[in-house]
Amino acid sequence: MEKQTIQSDPYNLIITGVGGQGNVMASRVLGNMLSNNGYTVTIGETFGASQRGGSVMSHLRISLTDSYSPQIAKGRAHMVVALEPIEAIRVLAQYGNENVKVLCNTRPIHSVGVISGEQKYPSQEEIQTWVNDLSSQAWFINATDEAMSQMKNPIFGNIMLLGALAATNELPLSIDDFEAVISETMTPDKVQLNLAAYEKGGQMLTQATASVSG
Amino acid sequence: MNLIAKQEKDGRYLLMGNEAIARGALEAGVAVAAGYPGTPSSEIIENLARVTTERDLYVEWSTNEKVAMEVAAAGSFAELRSLCILKQNGVNVASDFFLHLAGSGTRGGMVIIPCEDPGALSSINEGDSRHFSRMLEVPLIEPGNFQEAKDMTKWAFELSETLRCPVMLRSVTRLSHASGNVVFGELPVTHHKARFQHDGFILDPDTGMISSAPVAYRHGLQQEKLQKAIELFETSPFNTYTGPENPELLVITSSACNLYTKEAIQLLDVGDRVGLLKLGTTWPLPPKLLGKYLATTDKILIVEEVIPFLEENVKILAAETAETIGIKKFYGKRDGSIPSVNELNPDLVITALANILELNYEGVAAAYTEKALPLAFLNAPVRDLTFCPGCPHRASFWNIRTVLKKDNREGFVCGDIGCYSLAMLPTGFSTTKTMHAMGSGTGIASGFGQLARFGMDQPVLSVCGDSTFFHAVMPALVNAVHHKSDITLIVLDNSGTAMTGFQPHPGLEVDAQGSEALKLDIQAICESMGATVQVTDPFDFKATQNALFEMLQIKSGVKVLVLKQSCALSPEKKHTRRFEMSVDSASCLGEDCGCNRLCTRIFRCPGLVWDKVNGISKIDDAICSGCGVCASICPVGAIEKREVA
Amino acid sequence: MQMGGSKELKEQVLDKDLCTVCGACVDLCPYFKAYNGKVAQIFECDLTQGRCFAHCPKTGVDFEQLAQNYFQQPYRGDALGFYRRITAARAGEKLGSGQFQNGGTVSALVTMALESGLIEGAVLTDSEGVKPVPRLVTQAGEVLDCASTKYMAAPTISCLNQAAGKGLRNLGVVGTACQLTGVAQSRLNPTRKEGFEDPVALTIGLFCTWSLDARKFQDLLADRVDTSTITGMDVPPPPAEIFVIRTHNGTVEIPLPEIRAIVPKGCSVCPDMTAEWADVSVGALEGSSGWNTLIIRTEKGEQLVEKAVSEGYLILDAFPDSSLENLTLGAGNKKKRAQEKADMEEE
Repeated sequence: MEKQTIQSDPYNLIITGVGGQGNVMASRVLGNMLSNNGYTVTIGETFGASQRGGSVMSHLRISLTDSYSPQIAKGRAHMVVALEPIEAIRVLAQYGNENVKVLCNTRPIHSVGVISGEQKYPSQEEIQTWVNDLSSQAWFINATDEAMSQMKNPIFGNIMLLGALAATNELPLSIDDFEAVISETMTPDKVQLNLAAYEKGGQMLTQATASVSG
Repeated sequence: MNLIAKQEKDGRYLLMGNEAIARGALEAGVAVAAGYPGTPSSEIIENLARVTTERDLYVEWSTNEKVAMEVAAAGSFAELRSLCILKQNGVNVASDFFLHLAGSGTRGGMVIIPCEDPGALSSINEGDSRHFSRMLEVPLIEPGNFQEAKDMTKWAFELSETLRCPVMLRSVTRLSHASGNVVFGELPVTHHKARFQHDGFILDPDTGMISSAPVAYRHGLQQEKLQKAIELFETSPFNTYTGPENPELLVITSSACNLYTKEAIQLLDVGDRVGLLKLGTTWPLPPKLLGKYLATTDKILIVEEVIPFLEENVKILAAETAETIGIKKFYGKRDGSIPSVNELNPDLVITALANILELNYEGVAAAYTEKALPLAFLNAPVRDLTFCPGCPHRASFWNIRTVLKKDNREGFVCGDIGCYSLAMLPTGFSTTKTMHAMGSGTGIASGFGQLARFGMDQPVLSVCGDSTFFHAVMPALVNAVHHKSDITLIVLDNSGTAMTGFQPHPGLEVDAQGSEALKLDIQAICESMGATVQVTDPFDFKATQNALFEMLQIKSGVKVLVLKQSCALSPEKKHTRRFEMSVDSASCLGEDCGCNRLCTRIFRCPGLVWDKVNGISKIDDAICSGCGVCASICPVGAIEKREVA
Repeated sequence: MQMGGSKELKEQVLDKDLCTVCGACVDLCPYFKAYNGKVAQIFECDLTQGRCFAHCPKTGVDFEQLAQNYFQQPYRGDALGFYRRITAARAGEKLGSGQFQNGGTVSALVTMALESGLIEGAVLTDSEGVKPVPRLVTQAGEVLDCASTKYMAAPTISCLNQAAGKGLRNLGVVGTACQLTGVAQSRLNPTRKEGFEDPVALTIGLFCTWSLDARKFQDLLADRVDTSTITGMDVPPPPAEIFVIRTHNGTVEIPLPEIRAIVPKGCSVCPDMTAEWADVSVGALEGSSGWNTLIIRTEKGEQLVEKAVSEGYLILDAFPDSSLENLTLGAGNKKKRAQEKADMEEE
């Protein structure tokens, strides 16, 4: 895909989730898709201890002209991709604004505090209400459940979300870009599986209720 | 073909900072690279280890950082370019050798790369090793973006050879683990020939003996080298200035702070008022360069993380040249403009700039914060760090705590560094009661084990991992055995250096390059030292608790219990599942007296979930790793395990 | 009666050093366990009401409720508790020989109860050296393993809890006052646990003036006795101020003051010398080694003794008036001391 202008320069995207969900892999794939098309990309990650079940974020800076800090400034996110739903709320409180858009996976990962009964985890309805309230546009898809039932591995949920992100048309992303990136490191049979997941994600997005808040 | 070894000169790639550094080393023709795993540094060695054949390299995970630096130094003494990789703590461990290496000088270019962790994202300290450069008197350079991470690494080797001393190149988490675009340079043709010349005149730097003695002479040479470095730094292209000729405010910064400051200036739109002097050569400071920019304004802000290293050095220079450049007003950590603890980010720099320039700035809009912050605070449960599902440490600490409580003599465990550091938290049943540096658990225990003479009658235990055992515990163990300390060391042998990404260590049969290596046996080593040793599987509760009870009854001398079970994330275990787990909802007691949710409330494996609606525990199949341990803890045997065919 | 959970149990009993290690709280759940004569809380349980607190004999006992339930009588606070009759007793020929503390009455009664199927198992106290070991005996022949007095405080009732938890029923329990008080409370299902079934068919009490902290006892004997050679222990009657340990290699005497120093604090607030909450209670008969004092309290206890006599397990004899006087005095003094101590604690 040709280098196109992006809605904002820099475009600030946050991928958030729980350590171990595949946050880092998703951000690398996305970053490479854009970098291969000539965009200047910076990615900031949280690695290490937070991988043991803690909250994690990848900050992506996408620009036509300049390279930016690996941390997005507060309140300056354009898009939040949440691999885990309540993490969207946590991220929006620091980086959100009235115009931010959110793509949200709806499968919760309970913190150990929730599992042990010390903390409460809100309902999906509550989370979706809040996300809608805190964004200008939000999409919700159950990528993990789909990945578990169709492909027997929750990690494909992340690929579905990438496909869904592409389908929002917020960023110039094409399936060819995706295929080019994953072909560098994956065997052909794995590439096919991932392509199927990517396409499925796009389909799920167009079917999902996209809600626009006041 | 590995990305960092691609020939493509001028190719443009999205690289992690550590990958860029590795590429820079390859472009410099590095031959020897040694390190010890430590976040955020480990990927540098890992990347180089994958291309050893293509690029004619030797790459090693050494037993600890001091040995790693010594191994790299050997390469340098044999006229090869060599690299030592560590995190901030590692510099402390290697510092005695580093001190002497600075004195002796080097031959082949030698670069020491500490990757530091301001904000302690993956450490239990935020030490700053920039001070070592000043204290040990070696040059310090810092990349300020991803391209520089590559270019400056390459240059560091040239610099080291010009000066004939080791060069310190410092990175931080937000560069090492962040990614940005990098344009590749050329990869040289390498034919490394190692030769250690030593028969020449004793003081000849190329052919004589290599030592930091005679001290005054060598120290004098070091001073000359620093002077030479200053001359080179005055004109280094890695010191850059952006901004007006006569800025209202001059900001001096280095490292990742460069990226935050650049962005802060942009977001506040004060590019016409603020000048940004980014230093790539942080020690020794080039006085002419600094003087030129210090003279352009009265207000100077210094942006850096952790210790005011740069700030203090700039102030010294300013004091020395006050007559020429005038009196300055400095802002930084000393006056509170920049926080003294934790890492920085664009917002913290914005706050400092906004205060100084008297501007208003809103990060998150007030109205938005008002709705968003309470929602997050009240509804987003904080995620405690926890052992992975299937982690042997969970089982080990369950056994240890059970035994210590039953034993009922206020026994305690001195902790150490690794994934099992989490044992001080509920995930490890708050079992460890001290926590410091690598090997400190056993060192401290060795001391506690001598205090019976002062009335201490509590059982003393320490824990360590298999990698930690080789890194630093062995000398402490020797100390305990020799002095007849009454302690029990528990070695948590999960067959790898897990916390940092599962690197090999001397207890395994394979090395960093994937070649066959000689495996050292922890049990045999402890026995030959003279300790009483037993080995059990922590998943076998009965055997482990019996062994530990036995050891606690032995009143004197060192006992070692090796708990052997591989990490849930290890290559052989990661994608396998030994058991299918399920909870028999009919027999589950839930919150009733007799159980009160032991599994979800206390054991807390993420694979076990409390179903509040039905009042029973359940297995989360998406998370459960199938290790089968929870079946051993249910008081009524309601958790069932079925071996997978 | 006040209800509480493990937190209250720990605060009011364990932390105050009032635990006499009866074991009533042990092995009901994963949280309280006993090891080598001491009770420990392994993890915290946050239930506000639990069986551990309710069964514990040190968290407040409703004597009136127990008396009504087991004897259908009001509680009068008599020195010896409620009883039908007292007699002297000793094991009959049916039992064979054994290392009895005195008359072997307990061993005889338990053996008969097992052999005749009155009970399917007996919760007794065995020992390894001077380490107390609660034990469930299901074969009559094994009863004699557990004969002879264990002076160490033993968590015997943990064995009952384990057995009951596995679904065993019709069990006999031999224990001292604190142990049987715990049992008596537990049988009333004080926490109204659903599906509760009383696992106990018979209780035999042992007279007890004090017990010994097992670990401190081990330390005390460490340099003086090879504990693996011990065959029995005894406290000879006053004026002898000694504690006697019999071994294969001879006798060792320990001055009684050293022994008194390791009596658990909880024993000093115990008002019960003769194990009042039992079907029958057995102790020494002063002046007659080879005989026991046997107190029969319930209908069931009466039937047990009659059967034992008729089948040759037990021989009875008259109980001298002077013995009754002394026994009443001794038990009364223990009650008085306990009351005084309890009053002092409250101040």
